[in-house]
Amino acid sequence: MDAVTYPVDKVISFINENMIPLRVPFDTQPLSTDFNIKWTPSLITLDPDGKEHHRTVGFLAPQELIPSLLLGIGKSYFETDRFDEALASLDKLLGEYPKSDSTPEAVYLRGVCRYKSTHDPKPLKAAYEQLEAEHPASEWTKRAYPYRLL
Amino acid sequence: MVENITWETDMDAALARAHAEQKPVLLDFFNPG
Repeated sequence: MDAVTYPVDKVISFINENMIPLRVPFDTQPLSTDFNIKWTPSLITLDPDGKEHHRTVGFLAPQELIPSLLLGIGKSYFETDRFDEALASLDKLLGEYPKSDSTPEAVYLRGVCRYKSTHDPKPLKAAYEQLEAEHPASEWTKRAYPYRLL
Repeated sequence: MVENITWETDMDAALARAHAEQKPVLLDFFNPG
C-alpha cells in the first residue's frame, strides 16, 4: 500500500477530504485484539463512535481502494439509518467506478437503501435487473435473485 | 498541492476528529516491517 496505492494523489485527496485516517501497527493493543486482526493490511471503516461497518484484508490498487472506501462510507451511513448520505456515497461509487470490484455490492446496497427510505419495492427489482445485466457472475446478483419477483 | 495522507496514530484522537468533522474513520492496521 505504501509503495503503490497511498502515494497516488487522487487517493491522498480522497482520504484526507472524506475520512479521518488512523494508522496503527498490526500488534497495537488493545486494538489488535478488539478488531481480531490476523493479517495485514486490514482496512476498516468505522463510524465516529468507533463501530465497524466495512473491512478489507489484503492489498488494494488505487483504482480499487477508492471505490472500496466509498462502499465503506455508504455502509457506515446505511447501518446508522442515514439513507440520503449512504445513497450519495453509493451514487458516487457507481458513477465514477462502474467496473470496480466493489460495484456489484454497491448496486445491491443502493437498491436496499432506496427501498428502506421509500418502502417502494421497485428499487430492489431494479437492482437485481442491473446486477443481472452488468454483473451476472457476481455473488450479489445471486443474493438479489429473489427480488426479480417483486 | 497534495502532500501525504495525514494519518492519526491514536484512536481517541481520531474518533474526536470524526465527531467534530462528521466523517467516518479509516483504520489501517499495517505491518511496519
